[in-house]
Amino acid sequence: MNSGIFIQTIIGGLGIGSLYALIALGYSMVYRSMGLVNFAQGSIYMVGTYFGIIWYAGIVVGLRVPYPVALLIGILLNAMLGVVLERIFRPLAKLDLMFMLLGTIGLGFVLNNLFVIIFGAEGFAVKSPLPDTPIIVLGIRVLPQMLLLIGGAAALMTALQIFLKRGKLGVAMRASAMDHDIASAMGIPVNRMNALTLAIGSALAAAAGILAAPIVYVNPAMGSAIGLKGFAAAILGGFGSIPGAIVGGLLFGVLEAVSSGYISSSYTRGIAFIIMVLVLMIKPTGIVGETTVEKV
Amino acid sequence: MDDRTVTDQATRKRFGAKTALLGAAGCVLLLFPLVAPNAYQVHIINTAGIYILISLGLNIAMGFAGQYNLAMGPLWGVGAYTAALLNTRLGIPLWLNLPASMVAAGLVGGIVGLPSMKVRSHYLAIVTIGLGEVINIVLVNAQGLTGGPDGISRIRMPTLFGFPLDSDKRYYYVILLAVVVGFLFARRILRHRVGRSFRAIRDDYQAAKAMGVNTAYYQILAFVVSAVYAGAAGALYAHLDTYISPDIFDFNSSLFILTMTLVGGMGSLVGSIVGALALPILQEYLRVIKNWQLVGYGVAIMVVVLFVPGGTMELVRRFRSSRLAGRLWARNPASGKVRVGETDVP
Amino acid sequence: MFLEIESLTMQFGGIYALKEVSLAVEQGEIHGLIGPNGSGKTTTFNVVSGYYKPTSGSIRFEGAGITGLPAHKITAAGFARTFQNLRLFSSMTVLDNVLVGMGHHAKTGLWREILNPAAVRREESRFVGDAIHLLELFGIAGLADHPATGLSYGEQRRVEIARALATKPKILLLDEPAAGLNEVESDELRGTLKSIRDSGVTILLIEHDMKLVMGVCDVITVLDYGRKIAEGPCESVSGDPVVIEAYLGKEDEP
Repeated sequence: MNSGIFIQTIIGGLGIGSLYALIALGYSMVYRSMGLVNFAQGSIYMVGTYFGIIWYAGIVVGLRVPYPVALLIGILLNAMLGVVLERIFRPLAKLDLMFMLLGTIGLGFVLNNLFVIIFGAEGFAVKSPLPDTPIIVLGIRVLPQMLLLIGGAAALMTALQIFLKRGKLGVAMRASAMDHDIASAMGIPVNRMNALTLAIGSALAAAAGILAAPIVYVNPAMGSAIGLKGFAAAILGGFGSIPGAIVGGLLFGVLEAVSSGYISSSYTRGIAFIIMVLVLMIKPTGIVGETTVEKV
Repeated sequence: MDDRTVTDQATRKRFGAKTALLGAAGCVLLLFPLVAPNAYQVHIINTAGIYILISLGLNIAMGFAGQYNLAMGPLWGVGAYTAALLNTRLGIPLWLNLPASMVAAGLVGGIVGLPSMKVRSHYLAIVTIGLGEVINIVLVNAQGLTGGPDGISRIRMPTLFGFPLDSDKRYYYVILLAVVVGFLFARRILRHRVGRSFRAIRDDYQAAKAMGVNTAYYQILAFVVSAVYAGAAGALYAHLDTYISPDIFDFNSSLFILTMTLVGGMGSLVGSIVGALALPILQEYLRVIKNWQLVGYGVAIMVVVLFVPGGTMELVRRFRSSRLAGRLWARNPASGKVRVGETDVP
Repeated sequence: MFLEIESLTMQFGGIYALKEVSLAVEQGEIHGLIGPNGSGKTTTFNVVSGYYKPTSGSIRFEGAGITGLPAHKITAAGFARTFQNLRLFSSMTVLDNVLVGMGHHAKTGLWREILNPAAVRREESRFVGDAIHLLELFGIAGLADHPATGLSYGEQRRVEIARALATKPKILLLDEPAAGLNEVESDELRGTLKSIRDSGVTILLIEHDMKLVMGVCDVITVLDYGRKIAEGPCESVSGDPVVIEAYLGKEDEP
């Protein structure tokens, strides 16, 4: 086995894995704070990508802004979308899982098709702001954009950790997620904390989409497969756990890359799912999830 | 005349009305292909009939037994591919492929259901989605067997004693029979012990165990039964459309089936019929406004979920218990009395 | 010995919920299981009825080992239980709730349902008759067709016990059946428990209502912090200084 190619495969896996991780974070954070399984997360990721990338690619009246500016615009607009969504999710979060599932799927449907109407079903490729030629170090070839994706995701995740652990707002958010009643008794506005959570989750998804846009292809259907894999990654790591989402996302990406590189590229998607199922059979709460005893 | 006789008379009257209604419905159903303006409309109804079967299956698993089987689309595909392969490779007709497809899908469905012994709720949902994806990936990639993304074409429509059932109008009767049998079968198995065990598991898994319900067995059984329905629907679909490809049986088709079942009414067999008729027909006739139609479809799902989670059948129930209906309907005076052998399976 | 629990230990992530608890229940007695909150009473039930696999120890019933069997097999062996929080099947009528309990005595399965509907119907009407009879004993036959969760709290408690009895158990495990009942209902419950025992069903009873416990139990076992601290007839246990300390010590805490 060529170790250079192996490392190259792992880096590719980490790249796509950090994309999954950022989306998995959205699932897990919202589940933690609202108890809602948000199947529209894939669509939110797609919307966020468009929110940013259209300015960079000059889709709207030929207006073009630099890539970092487009990234910021996308993140901000999608965070605002998250705040709006909190209103829709509030009644959904009180329902059975089956209805949550369908309600959020319905929302995803609306978003996907609105974007088809606005931007058309066929997508477009985005040119990387960085050079297109791979960097070659010790025989390992990596696209600069891939490094930007990995680095950007790492920075965002670190920032999120610091915000949740140190920031006053972050601590309030965690308290609110732990127990709504106690939190509101302590004067923490639970609904606003949920809105903030959704805003952060959506912002992360937008960042993921805009960072990955030059590598993947941008179209209104881009969120469905990745949304599903982000969910699988969140479950694999331990649903509702923030480190779990990161570990699950990276692991899912690496598994995919390794199985496509070394086993079979056409069965890639399947192998990652099968491993997820096997992990859950051995440890139903996921890798990082605590082993809980079901209350009888 | 005591209360008892009054009750009996009322029951008899209702029974008579019911028979008349059923008879009329039967006539309409039998005559439909003859009066339908064109074959295309019969085709739409045939497709809806196939969806009714899948939706009945999903309803048994999810509406009654509470098991998230989100692999119904791919399981439908297992049935369709089994029939298509047996027909195109070995020349076996629909009548033999139908049971073969049911067995094949049932077996795969049992495997998809195995994790239900370990994981529940959203974990089970993603596990079944994942296994469904695996099935779909196999259909796409096992080119030698399945023909890959191109699918399988030239599946032959069946003949009956030399009489070819080679048009939508003729095939309609095959589907009608399958739907009637499928519906009655579901009603029968849900009526007594099996149905009660299913609902006990859905309502309270732990308490069901304490009542001696073999939860693992019934969970797997729910998956197998739902997959058998999907398998039958697959065979019927393959022989009707004569061409199948893997993209028909992906996760989106699972979602479509889930949606129609919910719109009709989870936990109501009649709801499955209503939902599976309504959605494909609506989809067909609203095709002109393509994407706005899909937006409306999404909004409709959200409205149903938020305001009438029981689906259409809940609307019917609400109407029946409303005052207006009280005047129209002679309410059964015996409600509140135990009816032997009758449960609330609709 | 009828039910014999030997040095049962149950550990949850390093914490002992039960430690070396041994317990023997004689056939035909009402055996009380008491102790402060968190002393391991419900855990004992959950282990015995097959919900948790014990860390160590053994359970024998009528001479056969039943340790670690799945819950439905424990029920088949002759156990039935109720839950601390009411756990009726919420979408079902009172009658259906009871019928679920009868299910494991049924021959009806999927195949018989299809192939021999007449036999299934006969069996069903026999079960319905039995179920109605059972409900009559509890004075709730008139509610048979009502949704179970629409009943009053006391009525729901009765449905739960009737449902447990529908499995035709040899031993009934009741987890705080008097919780939430008023004085009158609690007195009725005492009579009910005695008549259940007199019909030949042994009872293992968790209860905080001491008046009820002292009124019906033949033997009492006291748990504290997952260990057995006392056992014996009511009088001897209630005067035991260790038991008094366990309860009073508990109350001293804020």
